[in-house]
Amino acid sequence: MRSRMSLLEKMQNIDRRYIYLLGWIFVLFPLLNPLGLPVPIGRESRQWKEYIDNIPSDSVIVVSLDYGVSGMPELYPMTVATMHHLWSNSQAKNWQIVVCAFWNQGPLVFDTLLSQINPASAYGVVYGEDWIELGWIPGSETGMNSFAVDMWGQTPTDYLEQRPLSQYPMMENIRTAQDVDLIISFETGTPGLPEWLRQWNTPYGVPIIVGCIGVSVPGMAPYLDSGQLSALMPGLTSSGEYEILINRPGLAVAGLDAVSMSHLLVVLLVVIGNIAFFASRGKGGS
Amino acid sequence: MVALWELLGIYTAVFFTLAIYSFLYGENPWYRFAEHAYAGVSVGYSVAFNLRYLRDQWVNKWSLDGTLMILYIIALLFGILWYARFSRNYFFAYRWTLAIVVGTGIGMALKTVIFTQFLAQITAQARIPLFVAGDALQTFSNILMAIMTPSVLLYFWFTGGAREAGPMKIVDRIARYTMMAGFGMAYGNTVLTRYSLFIGRSQFLLGILPNPPEAKNAFYVIAAVILLSMIGWDLLKRQSK
Repeated sequence: MRSRMSLLEKMQNIDRRYIYLLGWIFVLFPLLNPLGLPVPIGRESRQWKEYIDNIPSDSVIVVSLDYGVSGMPELYPMTVATMHHLWSNSQAKNWQIVVCAFWNQGPLVFDTLLSQINPASAYGVVYGEDWIELGWIPGSETGMNSFAVDMWGQTPTDYLEQRPLSQYPMMENIRTAQDVDLIISFETGTPGLPEWLRQWNTPYGVPIIVGCIGVSVPGMAPYLDSGQLSALMPGLTSSGEYEILINRPGLAVAGLDAVSMSHLLVVLLVVIGNIAFFASRGKGGS
Repeated sequence: MVALWELLGIYTAVFFTLAIYSFLYGENPWYRFAEHAYAGVSVGYSVAFNLRYLRDQWVNKWSLDGTLMILYIIALLFGILWYARFSRNYFFAYRWTLAIVVGTGIGMALKTVIFTQFLAQITAQARIPLFVAGDALQTFSNILMAIMTPSVLLYFWFTGGAREAGPMKIVDRIARYTMMAGFGMAYGNTVLTRYSLFIGRSQFLLGILPNPPEAKNAFYVIAAVILLSMIGWDLLKRQSK
């Protein structure tokens, strides 16, 4: 009886370092030895792909990187996949893509992306004609408002070549939020969707789709249901599904086995903890 | 062949990743060093980026016109007043800048917050169809939403004697279950995020493409060094006791 109680107590007080060790094992093992677990395609990733596929021709798309390097593990794969998707359709549909960031590490993230993808050689898109990077826009929500009212005033030069916007043909007709047809925001917090909605969606009616980290999903869901948010890419799992959908497997797909295994570990620990708790309570424990 | 400076960068990144994760074992000097370096680099990056923005604005916009120049300098002076908070004598001046920033921020948000985050949500809730033809699951989901959302709102209604009445107890119970389901969802998504961050760094440590493959060797070498030194550090601490 005493030994059983002791075991139950131990199960409820496992040294956290053993749990971390298990965490390492459950993540590293499937990364080193891919398990090839099936990946069912979810509704969110399918909607995201369909939304981008159906963006009308001649649209102006603002892509905003509202996250820093700490958010890269979860958001970078979906950013890369989406930029592939956009650039591969950009010339056929005459889309004009404006890349910006309301987080100051956003340009750093995009620098990394450009070090891995050369859009000119990969998709034949021309900088300044098909796409442009404006860099970081400070001021959080106030900055978003100013950017909506006067994009040229808020960012007089582009980020990559440091030339005045007047020198780029594509910017001729892109001056305010009224000239923009879609916002694609990848974000980890504030400023993020609520600020975009308040400063761009409600006053100007610009549609928004958002890729976010898992933690933010409960906060995003009401806007998706209300139709204020047109599509949502929630976290790494959906990124992996999206990579499969556009036939460009990348880091997210490579990490899906590890996601499944890590969640399995958490479920197991929760079950063990609950069994031990209720069993010890039944035996008169506290 | 990777250039020496690139290899140095990879080893540095692996070292800092493992040094931060060494905290999982316990407080140690590797972690302390990495934590301070990270805070310093992060602040330094922000300061440099802000100064670059100020320079670009000055060169390309504000210096081109006399009136704009004066406005820019006034704005800059107000910005410098942030630092008055570190002075007992001039603390009051810091409040001027604070008032401008807070006032502008609240003003910008209030302009549309009622429409965006209240009216649009209430309208959307009212528009939910309770019956969706040919989709039993959606119908069930919509009915649940129609019951659960008002229940949770009523749960936070603390005024009046009706709070203790019979029907309100049922509403309270529904609200509690709804919130627990919401917390469960939030917890699940939090686990997803935390593990996603860890998986991303693990992919880097294992050199999974497009991460640099050289990181894998660096991972094994530096992990061994940090682990052995931490065990040694532990043993030393025990001996000194």
